Amino acid sequence: MTEAESAAWRVPPRWALLVAVLSIVTAEVGGASMARFKVELTRWARDAMLARPAVHGLVGVRDVDERILDEALVKFDAGLRLFHMHAEGMGLVIIATTMVAATVVRAGAVRRTIIALLTTGGAGYPVGYLVWSILIPSYGLERAKTIAEWLVWIPFGSATILALWWLAGLIALRLIRR
Amino acid sequence: MVMSGTVRRPPLAVVLVAIVMVALGETAGAAMSRLRPEIQRYAAARVAANAAAHGFSGSAEYDDEVRDRAIFTAEAGLSFFHLHAEGVGLVLFFASTLVAATVPWRRARAALYLVLTLGGLFPLGYLVYGAAVLEIGRDAGIEMAERWFLTPLGVSAIVGLLGLLLVAARRRA
Repeated sequence: MTEAESAAWRVPPRWALLVAVLSIVTAEVGGASMARFKVELTRWARDAMLARPAVHGLVGVRDVDERILDEALVKFDAGLRLFHMHAEGMGLVIIATTMVAATVVRAGAVRRTIIALLTTGGAGYPVGYLVWSILIPSYGLERAKTIAEWLVWIPFGSATILALWWLAGLIALRLIRR
Repeated sequence: MVMSGTVRRPPLAVVLVAIVMVALGETAGAAMSRLRPEIQRYAAARVAANAAAHGFSGSAEYDDEVRDRAIFTAEAGLSFFHLHAEGVGLVLFFASTLVAATVPWRRARAALYLVLTLGGLFPLGYLVYGAAVLEIGRDAGIEMAERWFLTPLGVSAIVGLLGLLLVAARRRA
């Protein structure tokens, strides 16, 4: 590798870039859909919750039930917003971090593992907010959160955190060895 | 005109700060989600240990309100840290790459890397904010974090970005 090449960024694998762009596109579509179909989404969630009164602890008293429904609908909306925000951010995080890994990490197997963890973790984690939101009407606030946590947030979030610290450690090592 | 070719990268130390900041942001987000009760308990214990700094009066109702506000503010600090660390880490990554790719003068590049990297540490001010609120009281903690960390580091980031803008404009002219 020449000096000029070692001081230049290397492009990450195309599949990683595609996943990152897809994450940003779904975030944009999600944001637009939230705005365009807000009434329809709220109506769907409300009807689904009313169809499962036991799950949400509805007692048939309007004053009490409306407060419970309002809280669940706020969380339902928050989940969609957090998906929108995280998917946009993580798309950019994937592009930046996989570019660093492609450039800085020399060992092929380690580089591929870090890029795979960063890409799958970064793209998968925001989907947890979507899962949480969609499950709230059927499973209730807490159960939906637990399912999203164990199915999505913990595995994908851990993959990203592990890969980021691994990458930071390798960069630090390279700096020390110079 | 379409340009192609390699894109220069910034020094590894700058890249390391950007990656560490994003990693800290991710880790803080996970901690906030998984360890919320523990963080709240710790915050309540620190407020109780620094009762004088929080102006406790001995009236349970008033003290509870003061404690709740301090804990809420400390949690907000952690939440701001999570949000800013992810964003500012990316800003540092992309801005320093633009410096490497577009600034032809070595000294100007070094100066921009320095101020941008200092600016990249801005989110740490929110960690100080959260901790200081618990240790020296809400208003004093916020004032201290803003004066000694958030303002200087934030100004540094703005100076770096304006410097990059000026250099880019000068090259274009």
